[in-house]
Amino acid sequence: MNPLRRFLRAREAVAGAIILVALFAMALTASLFFPGDPQAIAGPALLPPFQDWSLPLGTDRLGRDVMAELFHGAGTSLVVGLAAAAAALAVGAIVGTLAGFAGGLVDEVLMRITDAFQTVPSFLLALAFVSIVGPSLGVVVTAIALGAWTGPARVARAEVLSIRERDFVAGARVIGMHPLEIAFREVLPNALPPVLALSSVIVAAAILTEAALSFLGLGDPNRVTWGGMIAEGRAVLRTAPFLSIIPGVALVLTVLGVYLAGEGVVETTAVRRSLS
Amino acid sequence: MSDFTISRRTVLAGSALLLASTALPTIALAQTPKKGGRLVVAADSEPRNLNPAIVASNAVFFISSKIVETLAEASFEGKDGLDPRLATGWEGAADGLSVTFKLREGVKWHDGKPFTSADVAFSALQIWKPLQNLGRTVFKDLEAVDTPDELTAVFKFARPTPFQLIRNALPALSSVVPKHIYETGKIEENPANNAPIGTGPFKFAEHKPGEYYRLEKNADYWGKDQPYLDEIIYQVLPDRASAASALEAEEIQLAAFSAVPLADLDRISKVPGLKVITKGYEGLTYQLVVEINHRRKELADLNVRQAIAHAIDKDFVVKTVFLGYAATATGPVPKNDPQFYTADVPTYAFDVAKANALLDEAGYSKGDDGKRFSLKLLPAPYFNETKQFGDYLRQALAAIGIDAQLVNNDSAAHIKAVYTDHAFDLAVGPPVFRGDPAISTTILVQSGIPDGVPFSNQGGYKNDELDALIAKASETLDPAARTELYKEFQRKVAADLPLINVAEWSFISVVRDTVGNVANNPRWAVSNWADTWLET
Repeated sequence: MNPLRRFLRAREAVAGAIILVALFAMALTASLFFPGDPQAIAGPALLPPFQDWSLPLGTDRLGRDVMAELFHGAGTSLVVGLAAAAAALAVGAIVGTLAGFAGGLVDEVLMRITDAFQTVPSFLLALAFVSIVGPSLGVVVTAIALGAWTGPARVARAEVLSIRERDFVAGARVIGMHPLEIAFREVLPNALPPVLALSSVIVAAAILTEAALSFLGLGDPNRVTWGGMIAEGRAVLRTAPFLSIIPGVALVLTVLGVYLAGEGVVETTAVRRSLS
Repeated sequence: MSDFTISRRTVLAGSALLLASTALPTIALAQTPKKGGRLVVAADSEPRNLNPAIVASNAVFFISSKIVETLAEASFEGKDGLDPRLATGWEGAADGLSVTFKLREGVKWHDGKPFTSADVAFSALQIWKPLQNLGRTVFKDLEAVDTPDELTAVFKFARPTPFQLIRNALPALSSVVPKHIYETGKIEENPANNAPIGTGPFKFAEHKPGEYYRLEKNADYWGKDQPYLDEIIYQVLPDRASAASALEAEEIQLAAFSAVPLADLDRISKVPGLKVITKGYEGLTYQLVVEINHRRKELADLNVRQAIAHAIDKDFVVKTVFLGYAATATGPVPKNDPQFYTADVPTYAFDVAKANALLDEAGYSKGDDGKRFSLKLLPAPYFNETKQFGDYLRQALAAIGIDAQLVNNDSAAHIKAVYTDHAFDLAVGPPVFRGDPAISTTILVQSGIPDGVPFSNQGGYKNDELDALIAKASETLDPAARTELYKEFQRKVAADLPLINVAEWSFISVVRDTVGNVANNPRWAVSNWADTWLET
């Protein structure tokens, strides 16, 4: 049975994938459907949803189109989620591979640094980093990655420790390959699958962290973010709850979608590996 | 806007009534006050220093004005808008070189020691003049305070100082603290700064950080039968949304300073037992101002500043950002000020086409992307409304081809960025008008202020004519001539736009209808509450 069909059999995975596809579609079509600045004032303030079909989800306290903000916010969430996860996985994989393959002092030093990062709650780390450097998209991505790379690093190291004793590694040594070349061309690719399995969790966590930072006013103020929308809506929670509920639901669905789809992929590949 | 007009009328009507029959003791009370009870109010911040003589700010007054009293309090009906407190009379010399205060007899500090003119002299010379944020300007020429007897204090000024200014400064700047507590050690480090000792109707009892402040009744208070309340609790509720629910759940009886978000007022005014009150803040008008960094060459051009003024739809700001609980501004003195305001100033109607034309004329034509130039915009983080106006201003500027990039900071970082580092092009600030332009308004446009002085002209603006006008007004003793100079000041500021005044707003109280004597003076939330009472 091919992996795609196996993936399609898992209903949760399919649901997750559909959500993700919808999300990508939203992000990609945002400037098509809602050209111009999504933060432009489009109508009367605090228009409830489903009243005016040119503003289907209503407007916020300044009269900005909630639908447009939602679409543009999808892009921000995805960019931050994916970029932070990519950065965290890359850094984690490299650090883990170096530590596991070199062993000895290098291993000790790298792992103690990892420990140090792990002892600080990742959200606090992100909060401190953003408030010192100042909020912008790049800084937010860095801040989130800063707290997320330790997991991949530990998994990669554990995997590398077992792989480096395999015959093909010994073979590579015998033919005189440079240790770094062995580490990154022979060992790392084989150690990657379990590390990548972490990606869905990291993406989901990154999206949530970004939303939390924006909620606290530490997101990029010149960009629409769902967390920022929820924070804006909080002041009028009792009179216009839709302003917080709509981006909140979008956020929940996104995190759920990423997680379900990620789990689906991991399970599919895991079965394949065990079969092979 | 309506609330301002009404309140101004009330002020005038009130003073006329009192002038007509000075025999009337007070405006008749609707009900007779009851004694006893505990008033629980919402507090949204816990000031680090509770000494109102050092930190003359509303956050401090809100709590400590019940403990530490001033020489006089603002009043709707009193002469010159004042009601006596620790001073019973005040008189300025014709040459402007001295002011004589007659002090109240039989007043005791909370620790039992008698209150005398030595305390006033000490507070004025050792604290108001050298240490207080506002007193530094107003009392800068105060040379000595003579105390011929225990109940007379004569302020001596090195240069003529307008008596009108001193009078207008009394409610906010004249908190008297006990000499015998403060004379030893460094004043800034005195433990009484965190547990104030005063002469007021309430004594400081305790502060549980993050939970509450408790004040208890001062049984020896000089006011007859006052205070009525046994206790005041300031419940710390930093989350603005929670004040409304706390009121509804009857956990608190009063949320002042707009602790209930404006958007909730409409709903909460319909809750039985709760009242929304817009009165009682007439003496504490906040101004929504666009601060401009004149070091930017584009912004140094008057055409550009005028274009920005034309791009702002002030009515939209009042209606949408303030939900109607504000008034549009014409210049640096708010409309509700009974002494100094003039409407006869250049105005800037909302006109995007004109703004665009002005920018074209100034030589900043639109690029291919529709943008003329980029600016850094720093909205002050203290109020929801200043932040929201920042969002609005960014859109308003985009409409005339100016690309404004928002920079959000926390309070400390904002103050440093704007007033010390000058790392802004435009900033949104909420300065306070305190009843006289010389207290905290002229400083916003005057040149030669050292870097780092918050809420002052840090935009590098220099206009010799305005500076001369401000200097002249500061030594003009005749109130009528002085008022005329400040009207000229308003015209010049509105014409040259060192900053852009957008709106003026005050606060809203939400209170349970069991609380009596609410909002009965123009600084009610920061007055002493000696006559506040509870229906039990």
